[in-house]
Amino acid sequence: MGILELLNFYVIPGIVLGSIYALGAVGITLVFAILRYAHLAHGDLATLGAFIAFAVVTAIGVSPLVALPVAVVATAFIAVGIDKVFYEHLRDRPKIITVIASLGIALMVRAVVQVIWGVDSESYVRGISRPDVYFGLRIRDREIYTVLAMILLVGGLYVFLKQSKWGKAMRAMSDNPNLALLSGIDNRVVVMLTWIIAGGLCAASGVFLGINTELKSMMGWHMLLPMFAAAILGGVGRVEGAVLGGLIVGIAEELSVLVLPSEYKAAMAFVILLIMLLVRPTGLLRGKVL
Amino acid sequence: MTPLLSMENLTGGYGDADILQSVSLTVQEKEIVVIVGPNGAGKSTAMKAVFGLLNIRGGRTVFDGDDITGWSPNRIVQRGICYVPQVDNIFREMSIQENLEMGAFLKKGDLSAAYDRVYELFPDLKERRKTLAGSLSGGQRQMVAMGRALMLDPKLLLLDEPTAGLSPKYMEQIFQISRDVRDTGVAILLVEQHAKQALAFADRGYVLAAGQNRHEGTGADLLADREIAEMFLGG
Repeated sequence: MGILELLNFYVIPGIVLGSIYALGAVGITLVFAILRYAHLAHGDLATLGAFIAFAVVTAIGVSPLVALPVAVVATAFIAVGIDKVFYEHLRDRPKIITVIASLGIALMVRAVVQVIWGVDSESYVRGISRPDVYFGLRIRDREIYTVLAMILLVGGLYVFLKQSKWGKAMRAMSDNPNLALLSGIDNRVVVMLTWIIAGGLCAASGVFLGINTELKSMMGWHMLLPMFAAAILGGVGRVEGAVLGGLIVGIAEELSVLVLPSEYKAAMAFVILLIMLLVRPTGLLRGKVL
Repeated sequence: MTPLLSMENLTGGYGDADILQSVSLTVQEKEIVVIVGPNGAGKSTAMKAVFGLLNIRGGRTVFDGDDITGWSPNRIVQRGICYVPQVDNIFREMSIQENLEMGAFLKKGDLSAAYDRVYELFPDLKERRKTLAGSLSGGQRQMVAMGRALMLDPKLLLLDEPTAGLSPKYMEQIFQISRDVRDTGVAILLVEQHAKQALAFADRGYVLAAGQNRHEGTGADLLADREIAEMFLGG
């Protein structure tokens, strides 16, 4: 097998899949950094975002990229709402209660998707998309959009966290919550910002998974494990780590087909997670220890 | 003269148990007051009580004319009291400058005057303002912590064992800086394990034991009292 073949059939799809994972993993890592629990409804929120975009696409016949901002905003609102209605009351209780509650939310969100849009596969655009060839590399437009969008969204988030007053407040809350409160930082605003960002990124990851594959009510749930593997691999609480982790998990899943039957592709994330927790639980970029 | 801070017969604790039993103390404007006493005397608890981090079951705290008993820490900060906890008192993964910026989170508008003031007190920090606070030595971390608390121009600064774990050289430096801070018009209430050194440098002191007031007086008087020295200051 030549190098081009390796790139075209394994590495490029891996980078695209990895970018989709990265969008979700960044949200997971952010929620963990600030609220200190694993959010298990993350995948199903991505499904919801993907189907909201689908509703916009079918209703007014625009491309899914145009529907993306609508889905991002709507899902961000829904994430804030879920926090207010369900998680907020559990904030002072042991975190495991919120983790289990988020599993319940995952089932609820999925049920809503199934009731409204059914359980069949859907797609944003009918027909086959042909890849363009650049120096022998076969790349589809949608793959370029996916990677580009991931870079723009995460890059924007990075600048927000580093430069803006509230971005720094989020980092302060993640770093030392007691001192942040003593400094007069309003943690309700920080929590709300966290959900806006995590919800919006969730929707983006769902929409891009839908654009590159198809829409199914279980699509997000199946992404949950790889997204968590990515967040832990990169170091929990590290935005840049989540991106790196996402790309590694995505590429590893695609490459695994070379040596393993493709049914085992989904197990790759689990293997990476296991090895990482055994060997270096702080992650590649040294995050908070779980 | 009406004191800046006056704690009157305060009783309370973290859970249901009362750690403080009717503790009273005052701090005048521009005064350095130290609380000393054996371990478990309730020194740090008394300080946390000022900052509303305690269940108060009796008494009250008056600051600058306002009864602040039961106020949220957030509101107390805005009213002009800043608190430096003994441990975990910096944002480790943020730069020195960002630590200071977070200290001034509630301040609107330009921060450059506040930065200048803090960097004037702590010139060492200015050169390293881009450095992550977590990578600094213990003494420098304490300076970052104090600097963060001073960003809001408080009238009263609460320091919980600022010299704990520091070398004598840094201890002397922290005391010197505290005097400089006081000279800019800030009153300081601090808890100290190094009782003798602290009493020598403070204007007034309180000796607390078992959650109750035992003695009070000027630093020199408390140091000169043989009984107090034997009972509480280790001979």
